Amino acid sequence: MIDPRPAVLRRRLDPARRILAFASAKGGVGKSVCAALTALALAASGRRTGLLDLDFQGASAHLLLGVPLRFPEEAGGIRPLRVRENLDFMSFAAFSRERAVPLRGAEAGEALLELLAVTIWEPLELLLLDLPPGLGDTLLDLLRLLERTEFLVVATPSALALSVVERLLALLRELRLPILGLIENMARPAELSKASRASPVAELAARYQAPLLGSIPYLPDLERKLVDGDPLRGELGASIRGILGRLLG
Amino acid sequence: MHEWALAEAVVATVERIRAEHGGRPVLAVRVRIGELQSIDREAFGAGLAMSLEGRPYGPEVFQLLTEPATFRCRACARQWRLEDLLELGEEEREAIHFLPESAHAYMRCPGCGSPDFELTAGRGVAIDSVDLESGDD
Repeated sequence: MIDPRPAVLRRRLDPARRILAFASAKGGVGKSVCAALTALALAASGRRTGLLDLDFQGASAHLLLGVPLRFPEEAGGIRPLRVRENLDFMSFAAFSRERAVPLRGAEAGEALLELLAVTIWEPLELLLLDLPPGLGDTLLDLLRLLERTEFLVVATPSALALSVVERLLALLRELRLPILGLIENMARPAELSKASRASPVAELAARYQAPLLGSIPYLPDLERKLVDGDPLRGELGASIRGILGRLLG
Repeated sequence: MHEWALAEAVVATVERIRAEHGGRPVLAVRVRIGELQSIDREAFGAGLAMSLEGRPYGPEVFQLLTEPATFRCRACARQWRLEDLLELGEEEREAIHFLPESAHAYMRCPGCGSPDFELTAGRGVAIDSVDLESGDD
């Protein structure tokens, strides 16, 4: 039996000039927050952007973007949801809604392949992938199926997070995959003041010869800012624009 | 009509196989269509015809076979068929049509209620075989 879906993956992803995966290996460090903020900032800067939430069991990017879940339109495939000017979005949650989705690894692999094979993206400057935590099936499938993926690694100053993130960095380096840089999330004032020099995330980035793209401050009301307000204003917006500036050169 | 995207994938795969065999004529392609995904055969056929435009073979070489969807519970080993789940609503069926793994959000084992079940057959679109004309080699 032959699975026909891999034969169209290249042409499905062709509309995206670059594919950037937000990865961490550690859960709870803010991959989805960083991916959603980056997507919003890119779209606001006039760049056509896509965001694909690949965290099937813990899909949350739609909450951060305030996207009402609905079935996508069908036209030659399924069309991502247009959530802002210049921002298209696709998620398993468009189909599972807010229900629990208990999936084993092989089933997550099937869902990944199906979504990649039937989603028809418009031309995009950047397609952002919000990865699940861990070094499991979704990451391995992604490495196998989308060989031009570039990685953005999200870390927090927590010792536990740093240790787990370091293992991801080591794996990416071992596999000679492109690491665009690290993003420090939940940075406290002490780390922010020394972000470019000696914060634990900056030290980790230096050890793996990857740039620290920037730091997002710890803001107790960050989620509310994302959902209800304009997250691109103030300190948060400045942080994200700084990261984009270093990311895009 | 997301059936078109799947039909395009089938044709792309047949074309890859044909190219690997020196472009030999295609005699028959057997496509297995899993019941779970509720593929609209008319839409799938139209997708095939669209993707086959300009090719030296047409939709008539494609045989579409339906495979019943069957499940097995990993917790209690009960087996069941899609038709046993009468309470599955229109919205849920639509979600599963788009993405068959959505079944894990909406189905539970009819015996013990466990969410830990596997789909043993009849998921989506797969190619059973591609028959090409015999070559001289």
